[in-house]
Amino acid sequence: MMKRRVFVKRIASSVVVFSAPQLLIKATATAAQDTYHQIGPSTFRNLADLALRTAKGLGASYADIRICRDRREHLSAREDRIESIQNSTSFGMGVRVLWKGAWGFASSNTVNEASVKRTTQYALEIARANQAIQTRKTELEGLPAYEGWWTMPMKTDPFKVSIEDKLKTLLAINAAAQKRGADFCRSSMSFVQEEKFFASSRGSYIHQSRVRSFPRFTATATDKESGRFENRQSFAAPRGSGYEYLEDYDLVGDAAKAAEEARMKLKAKSVEPGRKDLVIHPTNLWLTIHETVGHPTELDRALGYEANFAGTSFVTPDKLGKLKYGSDLVTIIGDRTQEGGLATVAFDDDGVRTQGAEFDIIKKGRFENYQMSIGLAKAIGRKRSNGCAFADSWDKFPIQRMPNISLQPGKKKVSVEELIADIKDGIYIMGDGSWSIDQQRYNFQFGGQLFYEIKNGKLGQMLRDVAYQGNTVDFWNACDGLCGKEEYFLGGAFNCGKGQPQQIAPVSHGAVPARFRQINVLNTNRSDI
Amino acid sequence: MILSRSEAKQITDKALSLSKADSCSVSLGGHERGHVRFALNSATTSGFQDDLTLSVTSNFGKRSGLASINELDDDSITAAVRKSEEIARLARENPEFMPPLGPQEYLESRTYYESTAKARPDKLAVLCDPVLKEAMDKKVTAAGFLDVGAGCAGMATSNGLFAFEESTGAVFTVSARTSDGTGSGWAGRNYHDMARLDTKHLGQVAVKKTLESQKPIAVPPGKYTVILEASAVCDLLGLMIGNFDARPADEGRSFLTKKGGGNKLGEKLFGDKVNLYSDPQHDVAPGTIYSTDGLPATKRTWIGDGVVEELIYSRYWAQKTGHEPVPYPTNLIMAGGSTSLEEMVRNTKKGILVTRFWYIRMVDPRTLLYTGLTRDGTFLIENGKVTKPIKNFRFNESPIAMLNNIEAMAPSERAAGSEVEDWSVSVPSLLVRDFTFSSLSDAV
Repeated sequence: MMKRRVFVKRIASSVVVFSAPQLLIKATATAAQDTYHQIGPSTFRNLADLALRTAKGLGASYADIRICRDRREHLSAREDRIESIQNSTSFGMGVRVLWKGAWGFASSNTVNEASVKRTTQYALEIARANQAIQTRKTELEGLPAYEGWWTMPMKTDPFKVSIEDKLKTLLAINAAAQKRGADFCRSSMSFVQEEKFFASSRGSYIHQSRVRSFPRFTATATDKESGRFENRQSFAAPRGSGYEYLEDYDLVGDAAKAAEEARMKLKAKSVEPGRKDLVIHPTNLWLTIHETVGHPTELDRALGYEANFAGTSFVTPDKLGKLKYGSDLVTIIGDRTQEGGLATVAFDDDGVRTQGAEFDIIKKGRFENYQMSIGLAKAIGRKRSNGCAFADSWDKFPIQRMPNISLQPGKKKVSVEELIADIKDGIYIMGDGSWSIDQQRYNFQFGGQLFYEIKNGKLGQMLRDVAYQGNTVDFWNACDGLCGKEEYFLGGAFNCGKGQPQQIAPVSHGAVPARFRQINVLNTNRSDI
Repeated sequence: MILSRSEAKQITDKALSLSKADSCSVSLGGHERGHVRFALNSATTSGFQDDLTLSVTSNFGKRSGLASINELDDDSITAAVRKSEEIARLARENPEFMPPLGPQEYLESRTYYESTAKARPDKLAVLCDPVLKEAMDKKVTAAGFLDVGAGCAGMATSNGLFAFEESTGAVFTVSARTSDGTGSGWAGRNYHDMARLDTKHLGQVAVKKTLESQKPIAVPPGKYTVILEASAVCDLLGLMIGNFDARPADEGRSFLTKKGGGNKLGEKLFGDKVNLYSDPQHDVAPGTIYSTDGLPATKRTWIGDGVVEELIYSRYWAQKTGHEPVPYPTNLIMAGGSTSLEEMVRNTKKGILVTRFWYIRMVDPRTLLYTGLTRDGTFLIENGKVTKPIKNFRFNESPIAMLNNIEAMAPSERAAGSEVEDWSVSVPSLLVRDFTFSSLSDAV
């Protein structure tokens, strides 16, 4: 039961592949000849040069342009029927200019010479208008120029897999769940292909293409007499992978197990609240890492740029290199090069190369570094961005977003059973559930999918109504056990929100099962309602 | 891009004329939006967005496929129609398929204001200027977001339906913080008409809250009488209405599921004073005139005097259960009372004033238990007066309990929440007893 499907993914030092420009032509030659692919590298260069020339002519000190095409496919099934099959394409460009220290950005879904010129001029108009409320000038660090072409390595392009095959899998998932006791099962697959041309006045011309895949399901068990119901969601994480990820993952087997577990949850014991030791599986811990380490160490929010919406951070710059964020066991890295990572890419949306920019966020418990986009490094005495800019679409301004942020495995081979063996009164938690954290990232509360009682070193019965609540720094300092790399699992979020207008970003978080001492556990049952 | 009614009709007619499917529906959505963003008392990442999307759903018998594009030349439209047909042919028969609707009658739209649609970047910067001046005068640090724009939406089917609507929107939210990081305040509103948006006043409110919330003291968590300002109420009710779907209730997986089977339509689940409705032609918070599948949005009472009077019924579930189809609401109104916020404070012996909530997530769908935190101005009320700023709390509470524990209501007002920010909502501030705070947060 404890060792249900666990994917062991070694942390690749780098998967970034640079290819010669001619490979771009090869990569796109077989693709449909839509507007994006009709543009091609030379036309793109001409359009980019027009934007950059126009911006410079109007006095911009910096400019960049992104021409992007995003393809999405979403299929969903409910019990024995297909609910929907959707395919979408979004194509357009965004131009960003810096004029006398003020940013201006404009975008359009029309991409031609006239539109590039008009959009660039409008971006300048916005920058000029903002001079009236520009009390701090934006300054950018110098960045190397790149001419790079990168295509994410994958075995099977999900957009080339037949719809019939995908539907068969979805229906098999639902059938397996219903056969094993689920009253309902809804399953879906989402795929995104992101293609991007980028050019900047620093001299970069970059083309990148990547794909992400997300299979998921929810099995539901109901009890008509009591009116109770319970869900168990799939444990498959979204990945920066091709369709081979879905082929390798036993979604049908997980659905059958999920159905049994949802039914067991109906009769599970309601938890006794109080301080308990927790063993948290990476299918749950990835989200805790995301919320308690990922967001607080974003430099833009630590400096106050996100104060109005996402919030600020308890990790203020004076804590850099000093804060004891976690116990000595805790090392958490940021990278955009990990295989299968949702944030993995060769260049960020400021044109910063990601290979070689990997960094420790927390090293042996100490806070070491922030995530940065362009223009932020100087505020903390660093020279340049570490490649963490991303815009979720051609019509959004690139802002600082998370790289893949992952808890490093323990040095020794330690099993989940060994972590549990040293616990008198605790809970083993799997799968992500409800999540919430304050705007400075101190106080959090997380639920989960499955909870098992731990008594005197042994795993016991299933529990329900569990949430764990705590303070970020106390929590990570309470970590006193980690499994080894054999238990490593890469979780992640398909749609992490930040910014105004809000942008979503895909990001992965790897982890191993970890033990935390004396964490506050709540009982979430409300018997008065 | 914003299309006129005739331009939209031309495109939907074109797409429908290309269709070789048994039936087809087409929807269009466009926008032109400009925004100004500021932080640290200075402009940051301002911009302009312009897009137009066409979605085509083709049906062969009960098999359906959908394709969306944002390039609207003839070749692209043809390609989208063909793609949707290709998908539909590969799809399975859906026993719950409902044919596209025929012509419908819609109310007159009240969501478009020409002056808002025409706002330029310089106008937006001017609106932010007094807010930044107020912040700098009072030596606090402001961050905010002003988003103004227009949108168009159209829908047509091969059965003769055509719907079209233009709308505008202006959203302004502003936060401020003291230099020592111990005080934080917020104010925000959204309107369809930018002229109603008083950014200067909102800036003053946020700055005042910031200064008043400095150096908060810790009050132990527990059950408290609370005054929830409209933003906090907006969030909890906006989240609740998303769970008013009849189907999950009938299927045994909703807070509206009845023990032994069926749903709680007609049952009194909330306090006597609770009246919750939607009305597309509401003066303060109008909604769009059409909703799911092109069904007309009309005035509907969801909760009347505490009784569940209406649930959302998809066309399929309505047909199966013998109910009228009820689409998702396009706005939400809670009828208010006549007690001012000041009176509520005067009538409270011990309580907590909450400016707004943050990061609200469902904990238990069976009881509609949510968790989240207070943010940007939380104050202690003692003997009829706001006496001290206090540290923020995490709450674990259900809107069901909240709507059963109302002591007084302010007049209903347009509100923007943190989770429900740009929907059209009008709700009152509420005085509520026994609201559950489960822990303290150090966040400011």
